Order: sequence, then C-alpha cells, then structure tokens
Amino acid sequence: MGTDRHSEQPRGIKAVGWYSVLITLSAIILFPIYTTIVRSISSAIPYINSLKDGSGLVPVAVDYGVFGRVLQNDRFVNAMLLSAAISLIIVTGQVLTSTLAAYAFVFLEFPFKKLAFAVLVGTLLLPIEVTIMANIETIRDIAWLNSIQGLTVPFLASAFGIFLIRQAFLGIPSELRDAADLEGYSHLRFLFRVAVPISKPIIGSFVLISFLGAWNQYLWPRFAADKESLQTIQVALRNLGKSEITDLNFGYAAALLSAVPLLIILIAFQRQLVRGLTAGAVKG
Amino acid sequence: MSSVSFENVSKRFGDTTAVDGLNLKIENGEFMVLLGPSGCGKTTALRMIAGLESVSDGTLRIGDQIVNDVPASDRDIAMVFQSYALYPHMTVRKNIESPLVARRSTRLPPPERDQRVAEAAGILGLTEYLDRKPGALSGGQRQRVALARAIVRRPEVFLMDEPLSNLDAKLRTQTRAELVQLHETLGSTFVYVTHDQVEAMTMATRVAVIANGALQQSGTPEEVYDKPANLFVATFMGSPPMNVLHGQIATGTSGLEAQCSVGTIPLNSAASALGAGAQVTIGLRPEDLIIDPDGHLQMEVSLVEHLGHERHLHCSAGTTNVVLRQSSSEPSAAVGDRVSVRADSNRIHLFDPDTGNRIQ
Amino acid sequence: MTTTKNRRDTVASSRKRWNESGLALLFLGPTMAVFALFSYYPLYRLVYFSLYRPNRNSFIEGADEWIGFSNIWDNLASETFTAALWVSAKFTLMTVPLGLTAGICLAVAADRHLRGIKIFQTIFSSTVATSVAVASVVFTTLLQPENGLWRDVDWLSLNKSASAIRAISVVAVWQNAGLTFVIVLAALQAVPQEIKEAARLDGYGTVRNFFSVTVPMISPALMFLAVVLVVNALQAYAQFEILQPVKTAQPLLYKIADPDGASTISTRAVFSLGLFGVTILVSLLQFNLLEKRVHYGN
Repeated sequence: MGTDRHSEQPRGIKAVGWYSVLITLSAIILFPIYTTIVRSISSAIPYINSLKDGSGLVPVAVDYGVFGRVLQNDRFVNAMLLSAAISLIIVTGQVLTSTLAAYAFVFLEFPFKKLAFAVLVGTLLLPIEVTIMANIETIRDIAWLNSIQGLTVPFLASAFGIFLIRQAFLGIPSELRDAADLEGYSHLRFLFRVAVPISKPIIGSFVLISFLGAWNQYLWPRFAADKESLQTIQVALRNLGKSEITDLNFGYAAALLSAVPLLIILIAFQRQLVRGLTAGAVKG
Repeated sequence: MSSVSFENVSKRFGDTTAVDGLNLKIENGEFMVLLGPSGCGKTTALRMIAGLESVSDGTLRIGDQIVNDVPASDRDIAMVFQSYALYPHMTVRKNIESPLVARRSTRLPPPERDQRVAEAAGILGLTEYLDRKPGALSGGQRQRVALARAIVRRPEVFLMDEPLSNLDAKLRTQTRAELVQLHETLGSTFVYVTHDQVEAMTMATRVAVIANGALQQSGTPEEVYDKPANLFVATFMGSPPMNVLHGQIATGTSGLEAQCSVGTIPLNSAASALGAGAQVTIGLRPEDLIIDPDGHLQMEVSLVEHLGHERHLHCSAGTTNVVLRQSSSEPSAAVGDRVSVRADSNRIHLFDPDTGNRIQ
Repeated sequence: MTTTKNRRDTVASSRKRWNESGLALLFLGPTMAVFALFSYYPLYRLVYFSLYRPNRNSFIEGADEWIGFSNIWDNLASETFTAALWVSAKFTLMTVPLGLTAGICLAVAADRHLRGIKIFQTIFSSTVATSVAVASVVFTTLLQPENGLWRDVDWLSLNKSASAIRAISVVAVWQNAGLTFVIVLAALQAVPQEIKEAARLDGYGTVRNFFSVTVPMISPALMFLAVVLVVNALQAYAQFEILQPVKTAQPLLYKIADPDGASTISTRAVFSLGLFGVTILVSLLQFNLLEKRVHYGN
C-alpha cells in the first residue's frame, strides 16, 4: 500500500474531516473486537449480572489472568500446536507440489500437457465444500479419520498456487532459459538456481495465502476428526468455554489469542499478503 | 576457434519458412555480421548455430563436425543476448562463473575458475563490480557482464544477437569500437546479428545481407555498399537510402544514356551490355548526386534537412523524388528553388527491372 | 526478429524428450495424485451415491442398491433442498452487495495521503486475517440470544430462521468488507496517476470522476470480488454452526455436511451435486452478465 509522494496531502478542515470519517469507520470495524476484549477480561458471572442494568460496554471485575489460564490450558495449547503443525505440512506441501507442477507446465514438453492443464482448471470447480461428503467417505474407507494425514493430504496440491507460480515462471525472459541451455544447466539446476530464486516474491506471497487458508479452515477439520486431541484451534473454539458458565470469558480470550499469529503476519507482511490476495483480481 | 557453415539450411515453423536454403560459410576468426530487416530470419539462423532452434533441412557444421543433432550445451558456443539474459539474483561474479559450473561433468576446480573469472572481468573492466548484482549496474556495464560471461568459456564461436540495441547512442558507438578490439584480442569467430547497417559497416570483416529467409549477398562491408548484388541490398544499405529511378536505354550524342521521366542520365561503358530500348532500374546514392548547372535532371527543392555535418536535400519533379546528400560547407538551397542535378556517371548502379539483380 | 521467442523448439534428441516427459511425470505426479483422489474421485463418488444406496450393513452380503435417477430429481425437488437453497440465496443476497459496498467505501476513504493512514489501512484489513470461526465467536458477544449486547434487537434474533440469516449476515458483511477493502484499495492505487490527472483536467467533478473513470478502471477487481464473494456465501457453514444455539437457519452446506445425521448418504450426495451445479451456474452467469461491463486494461 504505497503512497504517492507527488500528490499533496489534504490540510486544515479537509484533513480533520477525513480523520473523523476514518476514525468512525475504524470504530465500527473494531467494535465487535472491543466487546470481545471486554468480555474476555470481565469475570463471567459479575459481567452477566451487570448486563441487567448496564450497557455491557465496560469491563466488570477485571481479570487479566484469563489470558494466562488460556495459555496454560492443555486443550488450547494442543489445538494451537496441531493447527501449526497441520498448517506447516500443508504450506510446505503446497509450495513444493505447486512449484514443481508450475515448472512442468512452463518449461517442460510432455504429452497431454493441455489435458493436464484442463484437469487443473477443473479442480477450481471442485472445492472441498462440494466434495466434502464424498471425501469424508473416502478417508473413512482408508482409515484416515482422526489422523494427521487425513487432515493434510487432501490439501497438498493447490491449483491457485500452480497458477500463481506459473505466472511468475512465465515472466522469466525466454533468453534467460536460452542462456542456461547454452551453458548446460539441467532442469533441476535451472529450477533451483534460477527459476525459484527469481520468483521468490511470488512464492512468498503464496506461502502467506496458503498459511492463511490452512490455519483458518474450519469445515474439513470439523468433520475429518472428532477426537478432541485432533481438533484444530478453529474447531476447538466452538467448544472452548462452553462447558461451564463461569468459563464464558475463557472462550473469548482463547478466540482472541488464536488470532494473534495471523495478526502479526498481517502487520509484518501486509504487502506480500495483498499481492497474493489481488493476484486473481489483477489478472481479471 | 572454428568455422561455421550453413549448407542449404532451412528452418520452418509450421507453415512459415523462417530460413530458406541458406548457404553461408563463416570462416575461422571472422567477424561476420548477419544483417537484415526484422523477421528476415537472421536471428533464427543465429539460434540454429547456438542449438536453440533445430535445423529443419540441410547441414549445419561447426568446424568439421555436423551439429544438427548436437544439443546446445555441447556445441562450445557462447552467446550474448539482446536483453543480456543475466541472472538477476546472482552477483556479477556468479553470473560470469555460471558457464563454468553449470555442468558437473565439465566443472572446473575453484582456483582455475576464479582465475578465469578474474581474467574475463579484467578484460572488460568489471573487476570492481564483481560483487554487485546486475540490477545495480548501468546498461553498458550489464552488457559487459554478458560479454564476460561469454568469453569466460573460451568458446569456439561467439554469437551475438543485437547486443547493442539496448544501449544509448553514445555508448553504442563506444562499444562498437570495443567489440572490434575484443575480436582482435581473442581472434575467435564472431557471428553478430543486427538490423543496424552502421554496426555492420563499422565492425564486420564480412557482412551477410539476409531477406525473407534467404541470403542476398555476402562480402566485405565495402563490397556490399559499393556493389550491391540486387535492388534489396542496394536500398537496404545506406542512409538516406539509394534513389531508384526507372528508365529506358537509348543511344545519345555522347554514348549510352538512360531516359527517365525527369531527364536523361548519361551512362558509362558498363551499361554497354544493354541494347538500346532496354528497360532498366537506376540506383543513385544520395552522395553521388551533385547540384550542377550542367545537370540533366531539372528538379525543385521540396525539403531541406540540416544534420549539422551534412545536409539532405529532397528534390522532386512530377511524381519522382530524390534525396541528395551535401556537405554542410556547400552553399545551401532553399525550399522552392529550381535546381539542376547531375549524377556521377561512374557511380550509377543498374539493375534488371524484372529480377532486381545487378547488371554488370 | 522472428516470432519464435516463446517457442521451446530446441534441438533435442528423442532421448532428451523422453527425459523431459519423465521429469514432467515426476513433477506433476504428486499434484495429479492429490487432485485425482480428492477432487475427481469424489465427484465420481457423488454421482455414484446419487444413483446407488451403498450397502453398509456388514451382516448382510449384498451389492449397493440401485435407486435410480429419480433419487436425484426427488431430492432436488424436496422441501429440504429448496429450503436450504433459499437460506443460502438469502444469505448471499444480503452479504455480497452490502459487503462490497462497505469495502469500497472503506477503500475510498483510506485511499488518500494522510499521516498515519497505514494504521487505518491495517485496521480495515484486519478482518481478512480473522478466521470465520474467530469472527463468529467475536460476534456472539453481540448476537447471543441470552446475553449478547443486541439480545433485544428483534430483527437480528438468532432464534428465528429469517432473523437468524440476517444476524449471521452481519458477521459475513464484516468479513467481506475487509477482503473487498484490501483488493479495491490495491486496484485504486494501481490506477495510473496520469488518468486521474487527465480526468481532473477534463473538468470532471469528484463524484462523476469516481463513477466514470475510477469504477471502470477497477472493474476487473470488482468482478473478481463479486464471483469470489458469491461462491463463498453459497458455501458458508461455520458461521451458521457456531453462532446458532439452535440451528434454525440451515444453508446448503449444513445439509451436505449434516452434523446432525439427518439425511442419508444418497440424499447428501445429490445435495452436493446441487451445490456444484449452483456454483457453476452462478459463476457462468456472473461472467456473462458482468464481463460486458468490465474494462480490462493492460
């Protein structure tokens, strides 16, 4: 999100006006987050009692210890670690398979290339939402329910990733490939010494998008595993804090803490993330 | 070092023929320039030498070896590309070193590698830039890196595909001289593709003019300029291009002459092979037309272009237009002036109007 | 130059070609295996389950029972399917236009040069990093029927199907606005400065300038968003499950995933094909309708 130094900044009344608009909009966007923070740091029973005659917008019987309890809670920690492990496997897998497949489509000649590409495009019409019911049957048949492989293997390939990295590879000048041909580069050497290093920015964007998708997914882990030890954080959030009414603030604190890794990524890698998110939109 | 020879070589892409029965022998140690307009097939010819395009028909030799089926990397060729094709993520050192380490089978031991890189960098004045990346270099420096990467291989043949086209005019002039010098230093065979006749004239030991996938003429730059083999070569070489008039041979009071719509041009004995009444195409270089009160062509000045060191006079009569080249020291004519123009009878080129071939 | 720059017609012996095919197989193998097993095989199974009732009884030997094409038509015409489709359609119609509009407003507001604008841009895009599950939990503070802050707002009550769809839509609009913001802002900033200046010199006013210059320039991004948001809305699940104590509003995917075990495999397979069909139909329709109005610049 670059700024253009050439244009002038609004000043005076105009600037004040825009700041008021931006602050109002921020308040609206952040309002539910704010109420969640209020609930997470308010002790459950006193807060619910205060709702009868209060607005509910200020914390009651503040207890910051809730965040510590969440971080020491086995179920929360386990779910976070599981989500991290699964996301790591999926991201690594998707980057590897997408890079190799993209390379094949751009730099290799092989029979049925067009057919293979059509197969790839076709998967865009078959998202997990459409196939979930049959896929659950499949992993039940091969006894992958409640297993790490059941949670990851269906996501080890990504058509989006292939398209994105393929686009980057197509941008490599053909003269560079010719030069490498003359020098005697093998395909593997060209892939790892030239194509991948040159495409690092795009691959980086894809890593972020892929991680975002893997970490945030709900539907598949919800049905591919029902054992508590194999619930990802997104699935676990549904039940955390529901066991007892006194735990009400616990669930909200857990939800907030579970979003922290992504918030850090959003702030640290905003530019790369935007590039990945807009990749489809820019192509049109 | 090696010669390169095309023996009846053709290249087809589907229905289009890019190179059509090319016969050309590039001698060992020559600086051969393949010259022609865009799409004439010169780059395809070069890429066939490199092994980047297959040969559809005919025989391609490097030295004595037929290389039709030899992969690019086994041909002992180095190429400088139009865009330089430097690896943007590697330092200058890694770029230059690249051909020496690309293949495990031919990889040199590190000390020798370093020495070769240092030598190539030294020749091209790149020593202080070795640890920079191409993005931090100017266009001219990048071009030198591409050259260094080529010479570090000590190849049989150097191929260059319009390597100067991305440089500004001043740098281009300077690099032309340096390339000639590099050719002398290395003594290897250079094959150089360009559409720029100035590059061809200034650097080549021999020029091959190519059009429509076929060789039009090969020879020294002087031969190609002074004795163009056909109308294409005649009008392609030279700027402003050669003036072309159509006429009929007649026998005048002082010998043979050509009657054109704008006047009569006296010819010398070279035209005697043609009988009176024959149709002929006459080529006149702008510098061979002189304003002279005794001139035979009566024309009106329609445009004067001042280039500083010289002047181009566009003259017309009826539908015929010719361009004269004058030194700036000569008195100038003004637009609208009526002038008499004389052609230097020893420097008139005659072509067969049907075939376009030169008439000796 | 010849037009052969992009052709890979290199000199290659047949051995080298064979090697490339082998390498391609190696490179594409993992991807194709995953797609075959988890994208295309399930499609086959959905068709199969739609036509056959699998024999799950391990005590009785027997083949799967043919139930015929009527199973497909009957289920697609059933009250269960049409009701779920209606829920999904309403949800889509509420969340996409509102989310798009909200996101565009955010983008226009934040596309200016002010000190600290980065902070506002980060806030506006923060919902992109929030998962649907987290967003749903966050909104329970407002929507929960017993002690949510909006428990007395009747038209957002989660206890009745119609108002529950509205309530859940609020969450989706909140999230859609973030995604729209990110993409529209990027598109706005990609509009060349010269075009904005040219429009100003031509004397367009601010509003006219926005609709006759800016909107056409960012139309590919809007088109992309429209498709993505509609498809996402048709495939919504988590919000409906997490927010509703009692699942009064059940969209298409709820019937397909069927956490309550209410339907048979064959019924759910038909519903899945139904979702597949609806998704394709909507995508095609949007492309046909919108493409004529979209300006694709280079």
